[in-house]
Order: sequence, then structure tokens, then C-alpha cells
Amino acid sequence: MTPVLAALALLVAATPATAQWLDRPWPGIPRTADGKPNLAAPAPRGPDGKPDLTGLWNGPNPESIPDPAIELPWVRALVLERQRDYHKGRPSYQCLPSGPESDRFGGWKRIVQTPAAIAILNDDQTHRMIHMDGRAREAEPAPSWMGYSVGRWEGDTLVVESNGYNEKTWLSRYGQAHTEALRVTERYRRTDFGHLQVEVAYTDPAAYAKPWGFTAHMTLAADTNMLESICERTSDHWTGTRTEAAGRAITVPPEVLARYVGVYSGMYLARARTVEVTLSGGQLVAKVIGGALVDGGEIRPLVPQSQTLFEGAGLYYEFEVDATGAATALVQINITGPYRFARQR
Amino acid sequence: MRLFLAALVLVAGTAPAAAQWLDRPWPGIPRTADGKPNLAAPAPRGPDGKPDLTGVWNAGQILGRPEPGDLQPWVLDLARKHQQEYHRARPYYQCRPSGPEAEKYGGWKRILQTPTVIAILNDDLTYRVIHMDGRQLEAEPAPSWTGYAVGRWEGDTLVVESNGYNEKVWTSRYGVSHSDALRVTERYRRTDFGHLQVEVTYTDPGAYTRPWGFEATMRLAADTEMLEAVCERSSEHWANMPDASAKVTVPRDALARYVGVYTGIYGGRERTYQVSLSGDELVATIVGPPIEGGLGAAGLEDGTPRPLVPVSQTVFEGLGLGYQFEVGETGPATALIVIHISGPYRYARRK
Repeated sequence: MTPVLAALALLVAATPATAQWLDRPWPGIPRTADGKPNLAAPAPRGPDGKPDLTGLWNGPNPESIPDPAIELPWVRALVLERQRDYHKGRPSYQCLPSGPESDRFGGWKRIVQTPAAIAILNDDQTHRMIHMDGRAREAEPAPSWMGYSVGRWEGDTLVVESNGYNEKTWLSRYGQAHTEALRVTERYRRTDFGHLQVEVAYTDPAAYAKPWGFTAHMTLAADTNMLESICERTSDHWTGTRTEAAGRAITVPPEVLARYVGVYSGMYLARARTVEVTLSGGQLVAKVIGGALVDGGEIRPLVPQSQTLFEGAGLYYEFEVDATGAATALVQINITGPYRFARQR
Repeated sequence: MRLFLAALVLVAGTAPAAAQWLDRPWPGIPRTADGKPNLAAPAPRGPDGKPDLTGVWNAGQILGRPEPGDLQPWVLDLARKHQQEYHRARPYYQCRPSGPEAEKYGGWKRILQTPTVIAILNDDLTYRVIHMDGRQLEAEPAPSWTGYAVGRWEGDTLVVESNGYNEKVWTSRYGVSHSDALRVTERYRRTDFGHLQVEVTYTDPGAYTRPWGFEATMRLAADTEMLEAVCERSSEHWANMPDASAKVTVPRDALARYVGVYTGIYGGRERTYQVSLSGDELVATIVGPPIEGGLGAAGLEDGTPRPLVPVSQTVFEGLGLGYQFEVGETGPATALIVIHISGPYRYARRK
């Protein structure tokens, strides 16, 4: 059962522990009376008067998934196929660069700004370059993982236009594909000393009926340093697919499945999570309510592996039952351990 | 037999082809009367008066190779073991960051300089950050692939001290390891607009008997762009690693027919192989000066005899290359063919 959860192991292994030497006060930054970095101070400006985005930034992964209705049929089909493969082909799971993928706008990065070029350095030891020397965007740059980016200032907003991505990169962890015609537009605003906002829009008429995107929020990671997070084990080693799990499926009588239908709540990674279990066409389906975009998709069909154990898109779900067979709790089994969600109704 | 040459395919596969869109004139750089970038113009300086190293740089292959005497026995033993494994564990071959490896000073990079930080961006998408804000080198930073680097100016020379490298990185492609005491010192000088010199010294009392290093000169790659060279296929996929159990037995009298001296041209230069018998094993040794960085360079010690493991009666495997003897019905071999991924190289028998 555990091998299919390898994706999560990868994420856990890449989370660095904090250490004493890391946390050194940065010289020359605005501080409040108690000596803490004053994140609400005005944004710094460079010698050219433009906001200076230089710094170490960190933020949550943005919630980013297009409305399935705007995905052209070939994209929709690919998204579903990739979900069946546990997203094994996702570039970051293969230790390859994430390119324009939305999750790359979360996590740690260092920005180094000079008047002619801005570099964004990621903690996975990839980087991208934004040309600021006034050049025009290239019509047909050689397709690459990180694309070709040209930026300009619109007032205090840095507007970056990028193209030239190879077709191996994804736009979201949920498997959204794109063509080489992809254009990415980013609008960066350092609203104060401690906060950087970016609005991202993906435009690719050959893949999506209309542009889509998200807004990411980063906070200055003052008085610390960025640790490397190098992918050393690719998804080549993953075993199992959802198709194989389906092949191992057993039959559970409908009246047993009906006992599991209900709403379950508990804590997952320090946040409340509610899972609604319903019957849909004879199959049990788990739906994560709130935080639906976290880890793998909103709807998880549950494939029976025993009378109480089900496989659901890379995670396992076990129902705790009382003497009458009615479910009292749902246990979600991740690589990080089991998470118990008590039945609410 | 060709499969075990996969390492070379990897290297060949990452060489980017030039393309039209790449070559755009850079605005605002000094030019000669004919419009070409004037690489001999004075080095630019930043607002702080220090030389500005910003730019796209390129250098040929760097040969950072210590003398065997520079290495403590455990490092030399490990280098020999890596050689036997075709250097398969080399981070670069595993699609991992090269860290402080000497060869990383060759090839393409972009430098971005600000008063408080210098970023060196490599074409394999790895990068380093050199802190210039006056901080001290950390005594015990968390070990990492790219290390912890602090720089300072000594006149017009940028001096960078680095430590905190993990034990997976090598300091040379020839399988040279290091201990966690490794310190790397770099001295950068932009001698004019178009040239950047760096002197690199590796110091590691836990691994080396004395500091060793090399010098490299990078050239400004003006009017063009750096292309990505992302490693997508690691050495995990290499096949045909040495396998003693699969040995073919060749009778000693047949082996004796192959003993001799063979001469041919490799890499545009004459190269001579001496083939001899050592016990019951055939051994090939490159005679004369090595071809630096040539694809046939086996390891730290070019003169190291390469044991030839029989694959058939006439074909042998020797440290990642194939060796085939041309023979007639009887008598000694007439030629030795050394099989690289780039093709076969024929060495006629001289004696």
C-alpha cells in the first residue's frame, strides 16, 4: 500500500529543518522598536527610483486550477490521464525544472534585481532571468524549461511577459498541459517592505478557451537564509498506478458502502479538514471540502481494497466501524501518517 | 558494447546548437570601429567603483586535476574506485548540481552583481550566491551542493571563500572527493571588458596533502544569450557496467598475439597504446603525453594501465572504451581499434 504514496515522501524529505546558523539578523533593514524586521515599512527603491524586489521571499502555494470548462478536450483528457498516473510525470517529481508551474510561485526564492536584469533563484537550484534592458520579446525563442522573459515597469508594477516554454512543463500540479504558444504574464507589486504580490495569467488559445491564473502572496523572509532543496529521487521509482489499484478492487455490497456515507472532520497539517463521502453510481466518492485544491484534486473516487479500506487517488481511506457496521470515523492514510476524521453526520 | 559509452552521449547531447534568434547585439557595450564588441576595452565598474563582473561568460573545458601526490590515500583509493565505475557517481552524470567541481568553471554562466550579493547562474540552471554584505563565513553551515560563499574586494580582485559542501560533490571529474573541511578560495579579476580570470584553490586537510587548484579564463559572450542545458537522463540508466562474472575466457596464447605497440591519431594528435600481458590479463597503457580533457582520459593518472576485460575473443572492454584487435589467420594483431562513442579510432601496430 505504501509505494503509491511515494509522492508525499518526496515532499516531506524536501522540507528543510531550521538550524541555529541560519538565523542571522540582516544589516540595514527597517526594524520596529522591539528590534523585529518592520515588514510594514515602505518598499525600498533602487537608484533608478523603481521599487527594488531584491530579497528572500517565501509564501504558500497559490490555489491554482482552471475551470475544467475552459480546458480544451485534449487538455482535459491529459489531466485525467495524469491523475490516473498519480501525476508521476510532473516535472518536479522527475527532478526536472518546474518552469511556469503555479506551485513555483509558492515556497522559497531569492530575487536579485539589477537595472538590466532580474534573476529569480529558487530553492530547488533552478533559476530564471528577466531581461530589463528594454529588448522586445522574442517571437520564437528556443523552447526551454524556464522560458524567455522580458520585463518593464508600469508605474511601480513590474510587468513580465514570458514565452518559449517547452511542452514538458505543466501549469499546475494537477496536470494542466500547454502548447509552445503559451504566454505567461506576471504583474509584481512590492506593496511594502515585507510583502510582494504577483498576479499570474496563463494565455494559450491552443489549450484553454480563455486565460486563467491566480494571485500569489509572498512575505520577506528576513533575518534568515534560504536552504537548498534538491530533488534526488525521481518518480521513476514510484510503483503502482490508479489503474493497477482498480485492478485489485474487490466488490463491496452497496448496503455496506451506504454505511460509510457521511461527513467527517478532523485536523490535517494543523488545519481543519472536512471530507464528505457520498455514493455516486454505486461508487463511493470522497470530496475534500475547503482546501479542495490541496494534494491531488477535489473528487477522489474510492476503490475498495477490503471491506473497510479504499484507495483514493494516491491516498488510502479506512473507515472505522462500530458493532453495527456503521462508520464512526474516516482515517486518511498519508505517508506522513494516518489522519483521523471523526464522523459529524 | 556501445551502451557503456552512454556517459559521452550525455555530454554530447547537452551542447546547444546556435540559432538565429540568439544572436542579438547587446546595447551599450564598447565596440570597435567595425561594430564588433571591443573585448579589450577597460572593465566596467559599478556605482561603488568596484569592477562589475556582470555579463554572460564562456570558457573552454577546464582541467582541474590534482597530482596523485596531492591526495590522501583514501581519496586516491576512492578516485580509483570511481574510475572503475566509469565515474557513474559523478554528480553531473546523475543530473545533480556539480557544486565546486573544477569543470563547472568551464562552459556558460551569467554573473549578476549587486553591492550586497553576486549571483552566478549556470546553464544547467544551478546557481550560486556570493554574499557581499560584509558577513563572516559561517563556521558550520548546513552541508549543501553549492556551498556557502562570502566575498570581499582586495583592490580590484574579488576574493570568495566558500565552505559547507556536502560529501556527494566532487572537486574534479576524475572522482576526487573531499571532507567536510573543504574550503574553496576563488580570486576573480576582470582584466578588461572581455576577459574574466579566476584562480581556484581547494584546501582540505581532511582529504588533501596540500592545497591544489587551477586557473581559468572566461571570455565575455557578447551579442548572444546563454541557452539552457538541463540534464534529463541520469547515469542510473547506464548499462553494461563492469561485471567480472560475465568474463569471456581468452586463451593465453591468443592474448599473447595482441601484445605490442599501436599508434594512431586521436583528437587530432598522435597517440600510442602499449598493450602488454600482466599475469593472465591484457593491459593497455597510453604512452606519451596525455590529451588533456580528451574523451579517452581515463582518470587522474593517464598512464594508469587499463585492464582489458574480454568481451569476445578479439573485443575487450577497458574503463568505458571498447578495444578490438584486428587479426589475420595467424601471427600477431595488425591493428588496435579503440571504440569511442564518437567512432572507432584505428591504431596500426608498430612493433
